[in-house]
Amino acid sequence: MTDTATLERTCEGTTASLELTHALTQTLYREARLLDDEHYKAWASMLAEDLHYHMPGIETRYRRDKTEQVTDLTRMAYYNDSKPEILKRLSRLETGTAWSEDPATRYTHIITNVEVELTEKADEFRVYSNFYAYRNRNERDEDSLIGNRIDIWRQVGNSFQLVKRRAILKHNVMLSKNLNIYV
Amino acid sequence: MRFERIGREPDYSRYMDLKEGWLDRRIFSDADIYEEELYRIFARSWLFVAHESQIPNSGDFLTTHMGEDAVIVARQPDGSIRVMLNSCPHRGNKVCFADAGNTRRFVCNYHGWAFDTAGDLKGMHEEYCYDAGDIDFKNHGLKNVAKVGNYKGLVFATFNSDAPSLEAWLGDFRWYLDMILDNEEGGTEFIGGCIKSVISANWKFGVENFIGDAYHAGWTHDSGTRSMNNGQPFPPIDMDNSYHASVNGHGWEFGTEGVGDLFLLGRPKVMDYYNKIRPKMAERLGEMRSKIFGSVASASIFPNVSFLPGISTFRQWQPKGPMQFELKTWVIVNKNMPDDIKEEVTKGVMQTFGPGGTFEMDDGENWENCTTVNRGVVTRHERLHYRCGIGRQIEHDTLPGIVYRGQYNDANQRGFYQRWLDMMTHDEFGKMPARPEPQLGNVGETRNLPGLFAL
Repeated sequence: MTDTATLERTCEGTTASLELTHALTQTLYREARLLDDEHYKAWASMLAEDLHYHMPGIETRYRRDKTEQVTDLTRMAYYNDSKPEILKRLSRLETGTAWSEDPATRYTHIITNVEVELTEKADEFRVYSNFYAYRNRNERDEDSLIGNRIDIWRQVGNSFQLVKRRAILKHNVMLSKNLNIYV
Repeated sequence: MRFERIGREPDYSRYMDLKEGWLDRRIFSDADIYEEELYRIFARSWLFVAHESQIPNSGDFLTTHMGEDAVIVARQPDGSIRVMLNSCPHRGNKVCFADAGNTRRFVCNYHGWAFDTAGDLKGMHEEYCYDAGDIDFKNHGLKNVAKVGNYKGLVFATFNSDAPSLEAWLGDFRWYLDMILDNEEGGTEFIGGCIKSVISANWKFGVENFIGDAYHAGWTHDSGTRSMNNGQPFPPIDMDNSYHASVNGHGWEFGTEGVGDLFLLGRPKVMDYYNKIRPKMAERLGEMRSKIFGSVASASIFPNVSFLPGISTFRQWQPKGPMQFELKTWVIVNKNMPDDIKEEVTKGVMQTFGPGGTFEMDDGENWENCTTVNRGVVTRHERLHYRCGIGRQIEHDTLPGIVYRGQYNDANQRGFYQRWLDMMTHDEFGKMPARPEPQLGNVGETRNLPGLFAL
C-alpha cells in the first residue's frame, strides 16, 4: 500500500480539473446508489484489488492527548479490511441465512462536500467527501451514521477504482445495534 | 455497606422456577426490577472495570461504568489501581470527560475543584472563598469504591465492603478463566481502543447468550460461519464430549475438540499459532484444558462480562435502563504473541464480533426483539422456556463447578439466573449459598505479571 498515494488530509492540495471533479463526483454518486440498492457485486467491481478500507473506532480523548487514533492500524476499528476481507463480509448476504437482513434493510446514502485533488501519482486522485448513511428496517428501526471520508481513487481506462478509503464515523458510542452498511 | 432499598425482600422467586426450567419475561423489561438490579446486583457485585494493560503507567486512567455509576479507573504512582466515582462532591458534575488518557489531576469544569489520581481533593478555583472550617479537604475527595481486585490482569471493583475477596467471588471459575488469561507465559493484554455500541435490549440477554447459548450459534450464525469459512457450516457438536460448567453464576460452555472457535475466527495463522503453543499449554494447564481452549466455547463472568476464548472478543454489557445496554468490545491477546498474530486476531474479531462483524450483526436484532415485544401486557406474563438439558447434570473427575453434559443446554443460563435470584433475595452475602461448594482450593492463585503490581 505504500506505493499508492497517501490519505494525508492537507489544507492546500491541488484541485483537479472541473471535468475530473465531475467524473469522480459521479463515481461517488454511482457507488452510493449501488449501496442503496444492495448491488454489492457491482459495488465490489468498483474496488481495486489492493483496496484498504478503514473505519477506525474513535475514543473521546483530551486535546493534549496525542494518541494516534485514526492512522494507527493496530488499534480497534470497525473495518480494517483488504478487498478479500470485504468480499468475505459480503458473502454472508449470499448464504440466504442472514436472518437480520430479511426483511431487507432500507438504505439511503447521501454524499456531499466532494473535493478532488491531484496526488503525486498521475492516475490516482484524493477525494474528500461527507456521508450521511440513513438506515431504516422493520417497523421503527432507524439509524443515522454521519462522517467524513478520504479516498484514493485510481483511474483505470474510463472509470475509477477505490484504492483506499478512510471513513470517520462521528459516533463515540455507535448509536446503533450493528453496522450492516458500507459507507 | 447498606443500601436504602435493601431490606424490602420482595419475593423474586415467583419470577422463575429453575428446577422446572422457566423464567417470567418481566425480569427483562420491568423498570422496578431493573432498579432493584442496580442496587442488589450492580452495587454489590465485583464488576469488571479494566484490563491492567489499558493503564500501564502512573497517571493512566480510563472511564467506565459500574452499573449506571460513572467511575474513573486510575493507575497510581505506586503502581496500584484506584477506582472512584466520576462525580465532583461539590455539585456532582463529571470530572473526567475522556474515555482514557494520562493525567496528574482531574479538574471539575464547573468550579475548578481539582483531584489527584487517587481522588484526593487538592485545591480549587479562588480557594480563599472558603473560610476555615467550611471544607475538610480530607473528606471531599472523589468517592473511592470499597474494594479493587486483580485476577491475572482483569481488574474488578466493588462498591460493597462486605463482598468476599475477588478470589472467593470467582471461586473455582478461576480454573476455567486461566484458559484465556494464563494459557501462555506473560499473560494477556487488550488491543488499544474500545468499540462501543447500543443495543435496545435487556442486559441479561447478552450475558445469557455468552454464558451458555451454543445452541443459537449454528442457526443464528449460519450466514456468519459460512462467510468466514468458504461456505462451510457450523462445526458439528459432540454432545457426549462437550459441557456446561457453572460456578456461582459464572459460566463456560465448551467442546473439547480444540479448534471450533479458532475455525470460526477465520484466520489460519492464528489457528497455526495456537496449535504450535498447544503442547506448552498442556504443560501449563494440563491436557484437559489444552483441549478445551480453542473449541466451540463461550463464557460470562457474573454479572456482565463475556468473552469467547479462541476468538478473543472480550465484552461488557453495561445496563442503560431495562430495555437498553451499551456493548463495549475489546480484543484480548496473549502479550507474548508476535505483532502479526495480534493483528490477525484483531482483524478476525472485528470481522466476526465487531458491530460490522458477520456474527455480531445477527445477534442484536434477536435480543432487541426478545426485549421489546414484552411491552405487551399479555405477552410479558408469558413464561419463557429454559429447560434444555435439565436432566443431564453429571459429576466429572476433572471439571469443577456444576457440570452438565452436552453444550446444547440451558444449564449455565439456569445457573446465572439462580445467582441473580440469590442476589436479588439475600441482604447479606454470607447468607447466599455457594453454587456449588468450592472443590479446588487455591487454583489460579493471583500472581503478579512482570512489571505490574498487586493491588
